[in-house]
Amino acid sequence: MAKRDDPLGSLEHIVLLAVMRLGEDAYGITVRREIENTAGRDLSIGAIYTTLSRLEAKGFVRSIAGEPTPERGGRAKRYFRVTADGKAVLRNTHEMLQKMSAGIKGLGAT
Amino acid sequence: MRHPALRLVTWVFSRLVPKNIREPLIGDLAEEYEQRAKAPSSSAALRWYLQQLCASVPSLLWARLTRGAWLSTLGVALLGYFAAGVADFLVKWAMPNWTANGTFEPDPLGLIITFAMMVLIGYLAERLRRRAAIVLGVMMLLTVIAMTVGAAGGPPLWYRLAYFLAVPSAAVIGGVLRSALSVRSTRS
Repeated sequence: MAKRDDPLGSLEHIVLLAVMRLGEDAYGITVRREIENTAGRDLSIGAIYTTLSRLEAKGFVRSIAGEPTPERGGRAKRYFRVTADGKAVLRNTHEMLQKMSAGIKGLGAT
Repeated sequence: MRHPALRLVTWVFSRLVPKNIREPLIGDLAEEYEQRAKAPSSSAALRWYLQQLCASVPSLLWARLTRGAWLSTLGVALLGYFAAGVADFLVKWAMPNWTANGTFEPDPLGLIITFAMMVLIGYLAERLRRRAAIVLGVMMLLTVIAMTVGAAGGPPLWYRLAYFLAVPSAAVIGGVLRSALSVRSTRS
């Protein structure tokens, strides 16, 4: 289990934020879509799932199996939710980034 | 997913995906593909699908490697390879094929004993680590090919062929035997 004050990798950070933004509807393909539409990064579904697995192993997200649907060939979805540890690590990472960027001209941070 | 070729490609790809994420990942791809295929240009959906499969391979391979699954399998296969080398040496030492005047006298009994030992080693390797017997079989095949190509004179062709076929396949047979027995014990 990773510690809450461990910094997140950039991909982990983006995926965790996407899961949080999506709330109840966060699963592999919606996370991919959210990152593509919001951050403009075209990530592969394999990269999304390996990152989600890593975040789950660190205790920053938990997953719940959904119902299988016909358009998915009878395969179930796997929904992801950010845990309390996940929210804490996001807060810590944001604080750290704000501190690091504070006072640097041209970044827009104050 | 109507195209049989696409189903086959997906099946091959799914073997790369770790089991815990296989079903949701393949399901997500199918869902997005079906949605995109409704658009007027359905070839774009196919392009997107294939591009996703290709782009996913490096991260999935890397995840497998860093999880150590392949390293453990390779480690067990190497252990089996070493054991097979010792077993082969012992059989040749107990039943030498070379006479004092340097001629080769093939001994089918030695070959049968070697085969049985390789089956046992393949069985044990598979018991320690799933698919280790297949890796061991490939390693043995490469060794036997190198020995067959590199050997000038020596054993007759039938003996070389028998060795070539028997040794690598014995390891795989041992692995298959172990898998079959483990499936049977799970069912009962």
